[in-house]
Amino acid sequence: MNAPEPAAAALAAYGKRATYCYQCVAGPDLLTVKVVDGVATEVEPNFAACGVHPGGGKVCVKAYGLVQKTYNPNRVLTPMRRTNPNKGRNEDPGFVPISWAEALDTIAAKLRSVREAGLLDASGYPKVAANFGGGGTPQSYMGTFPAFLAAWGPVDMGFGSGQGVKCTHSEHLYGEFWHRAFPVCPDTPMCNYVISCGANSEASGGVVGVWRHANARERGMKRVQIEPHLSITGACSAEWVPIKPKTDPAFLYALIHVMLHESARERLDLPFLKQHTNSPYLVGANGFFLRDAATKKPLLWDLNCNAAVTYDTPDCDPALEGAFACDAVEIGPDEAVLAQGRLEGSPSFAKLVEHVRPYSPEWAAEICDVPAATMRRIANEYLDHAQVGATIEIEGKTLPYRPVSVSLGKTVNNGWGGFECVWARTLLAVLVGALEVPGGTLGTTVRLNRPLSERHESVKPGPDGFMHYPMNPTDREHWSARPNIRNAYRTMVPLAANGPWSQALGPTHFSWMFQKETPKGLPTVTLPEVWFVYRTNPAISFWDTKGVSATMARFPFVVAMAYTRDETNHMADILLPDATDLESLQLIRIGGSKYIEQFWEHEGYALRQPVVAAQGEARDFPDIATELARRTGLLEQYNAAINRGAGGVRLKGASWYFSLDPKVAHGRDEIWDAVCKAASAELSDGKEVHDLAWWKENGLATKPFPHADWYLFPTLAAQGLRFEVPYQERLYRIGKELGNRLHEHDMQWWNEQLAEYQTLPKWKDFPGLWEKSLLKMGGTTKDFPFWLLTSRSMQYSWGNNVGIQMIREVADNISGHRGVIINTGTAEKLGIAEGDPVEIATPLNNVSARAVVRQGIRPDTLLLIGQFSHWATPFAKDFGVPSMNSLVPMSMELTDATGSGADVVRVSLKRSGVGK
Amino acid sequence: MNDNFGPKPWHQTNWDFRAAFNFMFGSAGAGLLVAVAISGAAGNALRAEMLLGMALIGAGLLSVWFEIGRPLRAMNVGFNPFTSWMTRESFAAGLVFALGLAAVWFASLHLAQAAALAALVFAYCQGRILQAAKGIPAWRVPALIWLVFTTALAEGAGLFVALAVLADTPARGALGYFSLALIARVLAWSIYRGGVAKAAVRPALAALDRAGKMLVQLGTVAPLALLLVGWFVPEVARVLMPLAGVAALATGWQFKFVLITRAAYNQGFALPHLPVRGTR
Amino acid sequence: MTRWAMVADLRRCVGCQTCTASCKQANATPPEVQWRRVLDMEVGEYPAVKRVFVPVGCMHCDEPPCMHVCPSTATKKRPDGIVTIDYELCIGCSYCAIACPYQARYKTDRASFAYGKATVQETQAFNPKRLAVATKCTFCVDRIDAGLAKGLTPGIDPEATPACVNSCISQTLSFGDLEDPHSNVSQLLAENQTFRMHEELGTGPGFYYIWDKKQGDASA
Repeated sequence: MNAPEPAAAALAAYGKRATYCYQCVAGPDLLTVKVVDGVATEVEPNFAACGVHPGGGKVCVKAYGLVQKTYNPNRVLTPMRRTNPNKGRNEDPGFVPISWAEALDTIAAKLRSVREAGLLDASGYPKVAANFGGGGTPQSYMGTFPAFLAAWGPVDMGFGSGQGVKCTHSEHLYGEFWHRAFPVCPDTPMCNYVISCGANSEASGGVVGVWRHANARERGMKRVQIEPHLSITGACSAEWVPIKPKTDPAFLYALIHVMLHESARERLDLPFLKQHTNSPYLVGANGFFLRDAATKKPLLWDLNCNAAVTYDTPDCDPALEGAFACDAVEIGPDEAVLAQGRLEGSPSFAKLVEHVRPYSPEWAAEICDVPAATMRRIANEYLDHAQVGATIEIEGKTLPYRPVSVSLGKTVNNGWGGFECVWARTLLAVLVGALEVPGGTLGTTVRLNRPLSERHESVKPGPDGFMHYPMNPTDREHWSARPNIRNAYRTMVPLAANGPWSQALGPTHFSWMFQKETPKGLPTVTLPEVWFVYRTNPAISFWDTKGVSATMARFPFVVAMAYTRDETNHMADILLPDATDLESLQLIRIGGSKYIEQFWEHEGYALRQPVVAAQGEARDFPDIATELARRTGLLEQYNAAINRGAGGVRLKGASWYFSLDPKVAHGRDEIWDAVCKAASAELSDGKEVHDLAWWKENGLATKPFPHADWYLFPTLAAQGLRFEVPYQERLYRIGKELGNRLHEHDMQWWNEQLAEYQTLPKWKDFPGLWEKSLLKMGGTTKDFPFWLLTSRSMQYSWGNNVGIQMIREVADNISGHRGVIINTGTAEKLGIAEGDPVEIATPLNNVSARAVVRQGIRPDTLLLIGQFSHWATPFAKDFGVPSMNSLVPMSMELTDATGSGADVVRVSLKRSGVGK
Repeated sequence: MNDNFGPKPWHQTNWDFRAAFNFMFGSAGAGLLVAVAISGAAGNALRAEMLLGMALIGAGLLSVWFEIGRPLRAMNVGFNPFTSWMTRESFAAGLVFALGLAAVWFASLHLAQAAALAALVFAYCQGRILQAAKGIPAWRVPALIWLVFTTALAEGAGLFVALAVLADTPARGALGYFSLALIARVLAWSIYRGGVAKAAVRPALAALDRAGKMLVQLGTVAPLALLLVGWFVPEVARVLMPLAGVAALATGWQFKFVLITRAAYNQGFALPHLPVRGTR
Repeated sequence: MTRWAMVADLRRCVGCQTCTASCKQANATPPEVQWRRVLDMEVGEYPAVKRVFVPVGCMHCDEPPCMHVCPSTATKKRPDGIVTIDYELCIGCSYCAIACPYQARYKTDRASFAYGKATVQETQAFNPKRLAVATKCTFCVDRIDAGLAKGLTPGIDPEATPACVNSCISQTLSFGDLEDPHSNVSQLLAENQTFRMHEELGTGPGFYYIWDKKQGDASA
């Protein structure tokens, strides 16, 4: 017997079935799969969707691997139990097949025993942990498993598998803080000039990113790629500027310097700065806003009446520059009154002008290894293209039109320097009024603010005329001294907020790092008693892979949903074969504005449906989740969670009711039938109800999503809210408060991170931080002269598809998939030829690779694409391609204030077999 | 990146030593038939050398037969006489065998001469086969036709001279023909080298130059010198003549082996314009 | 008359290999056989270096060298410009592969599969006729013919269009009739500057590369 549902048997043997692929964050792609004689044969775009999908309904290369994924002979196709109690890389797990009943009974028994003893351990951490990879994409495959987790109670989802170091972390936190922008991207269809600091939209922007940028290129949009190597995106740009790694803040600061010190003020969007930012807010001697003594509202200087007025005074003409004295109060951290009475202050814009005075292109040229003239030209081209003052009509609304943007890549965004880059990027937009307006720099979705994914609804008034932001509290009364999970995001990272996604946005490497030694002030970090793993492989995808593997080998009970054997499930106790992409059923929300470049003019739902019968004994997730809920006595809570919307849609609406009977275990199709009906009712305001059969036939249904909703500016303006840029009084305050709290608990180990909370971020020697770390590891810059970087691969990113032969084959057509990319001149100097075996080393570790000799990379930089170095995953373990993850250590000193670190490490390089 | 996929030219992988053998044995065999016909040989000598020449051609064709993917369809090779020099080569080979076997049967010099004419066509076809391969810059140079053709003459003559020594000192006419063939071959090489310099990539040229050097020094100068010494010192001629013949034959074979298996870099890919991404 | 042709806009291509993958799937080609593929080329020297992604495959030439050299007449050119291979006639001599200046032809002597042993989908798609003979891009001729029979327009209607074109996520690839001045490809050629690969060899490829808009439009 395969799945409990008989649906598989009823599948048509011939025809095309509509489904989706959401293997990467740039999805979903809507597709059809051709079935011949009961066998899936061919993936094609769902041509019926090309009218609603912003990428012409096309499908990414990764989806073409799904057929082979289904029939991969290396799949785990029965539940398995570990027979070797010893865990470790060199231990054979001794997996033996067992029945589903035995597997589920074993897991349920373990869960029940955990529950009986209490959900939290002695340190207060959840005993159950779960890891899902791929930037949230597993949620589009795991059906009702979230309902099971919701029914369970506290679960630690903060063990990193790449979060914080492989995402665009600073952008997520600061972007969402400043403009509800979890990811950020240009308004590509209308933008004319993009400065891209390492953003790799052509490799990681998915179908929609590629589609939109190709259109923009043909239209004449100029993109300048600032990056140490000539990436796919660099290749497709008008210009490539090979910058020294981790010096992007200096580059961006130089652009700002040119705009503020070498260009006429009128070239900036002065009305925007005055009315829609905190540029005119007066700043006192202590760095905090000068406030009205009575209302505590920030003050600005009104040129009309030559007096200080509160920021919300109508019809004033605030000064942006100068120094002014007024009656005010200056309030610091923890409500401390720092000064009051007649105080002198300057607009924050004036502070900004002074702040960037030293950051000239000549200054930056030394740091970035980019000619000053290039930076000056780029700054002026940016201004030339900004069209300050222009407007455009969209759906009847007249909006500012500023076709310039700045985008940032992963390593630019992560770790030290990330804050400075995101601030500078946001500032570059703000200076010309290009933030959240047509043509400019846009946020795509929200993950930390609520309601989740609803950008416009998340805009609510907060303090001082800015948007509300759900900071983790830093005041004495509410600060969380006892973290709720092991990575301590609520305690250490106020900006991480406390929503469903926050656990993954804290310092997720702490969960691994602190297993060795918990720093002072935090409860001892413990092992989870039960760990669920699905579509993630932290033993490969995080840093210090050896250490992470060794730690997870100590986890007492690991349940892995296993497609094939891999490096993480090598440590599992139970393997569960889940039905894969073309074998399982789920309805998901599509459209609106989503990750990366996913800006739709439609929104609705799409169905993923079994195209062919599940192979072997693989089971669909709802069947697994329902059984676990039933066997752990959580069925009612589980069904209630589904009814509340844990399956993606609330089953009860204003005029519809499809809720499930909470007392009964429901089959997969029954659950999705209810979800489908609720979704179609929601889409049509209750007018139409379509069942699962209808959705299987049609695949998707949408309604229009206003183009104007891509832009947040009108929503802020309507509420009289300002962008909290350029001056960071609030961040400075919470940083000070956080410092007070930590020091009150004698926690001194976060002091360097606390220094990141600045009103106007200063340039620090960011590359020097990695060089210092190298010294600490016992190396010198002379002996380890190269910067090792990584870059995403279009064919592999997020895809969990290293075991697919066809993906491997086609990816090989792109340079770098077989080894380490080395500059031609460097290779010649070192006597290295194409294909030669080389050794890349840090003072602590080394890996072997084949040389890929290319012109398009800086002589001081090496590049390892993707994350390989597999040793257990069938097929992939024979690649012989290393990963930088094996070389990058986890360290406190390279963790920034948001809890993030960057994919950078200093290394040596030599031809294998050659002495030092 | 998979090196097999370029875009810089890479060496063809479709034809290996088996194809090379066809050009080595085939041309030597054809050349031998021509030399025999010119020499005016008769009787069993004629028979033996004719049979050897045809055996060489046959061995070359057999070698190719081992390389083709569908050997049972080998007869389909004759379907395109209108444009394919491979079909024409097969026709010429058929004619060579028909006339040659008849010559052997009847020990007829006239039939042998007719077979030699067919062998000349066969050798010419081999040159055209290579020259028609547009995908290989080192082959599509027109001068290659005459280089392949003259190597056939030189190799055949060399073989004839070497074999003739077994029976007697070769006739002066045969030695003269051999000398002329050597000179023709080296001239053809020189013209080809001039043409191929513009077409082939560096590694192909390097391989050709190495083989060409052998062709000039060991395959032309040395045999001519040996012939000259033999001319003036007849007592050592019986030793020197076969050496000269073998040198001419061996260097011709190694040149063609290199031509097929070492110098056959393909066209690769090249862009006359770079795409304009956004702005110039 | 009809002349089917492919146009690749090099300004748009990102080297994603979606066309490569879709072709492999639609045509069930064995591992390492890529009738359509995209090259990753570098031009120039650091730091003045450009990287270009170039889709290649059979160019369906006006004067196909592969056809002229083919001794068995297995390779033919249809009146609509599509160069075909008759697997029943081909002797597998590879002369065509040598003659093709675009390295577009493959010969697989033994059956090979993604994971060694054939999976159910590979077993179903396996065509023994393709073993030990020359194979190459067909412009998905079966789709074109079936589509035309249904009154569809190749290059416009997906059902009648080559798989690589259908799959292309950057709209790099277009397919259509060169003889029809109103076709998509004719329009593209009229509006843009193009070249054909190794044009100097006189093969007359039916595959055009766009590299810029026409000068008159450059300022637009």
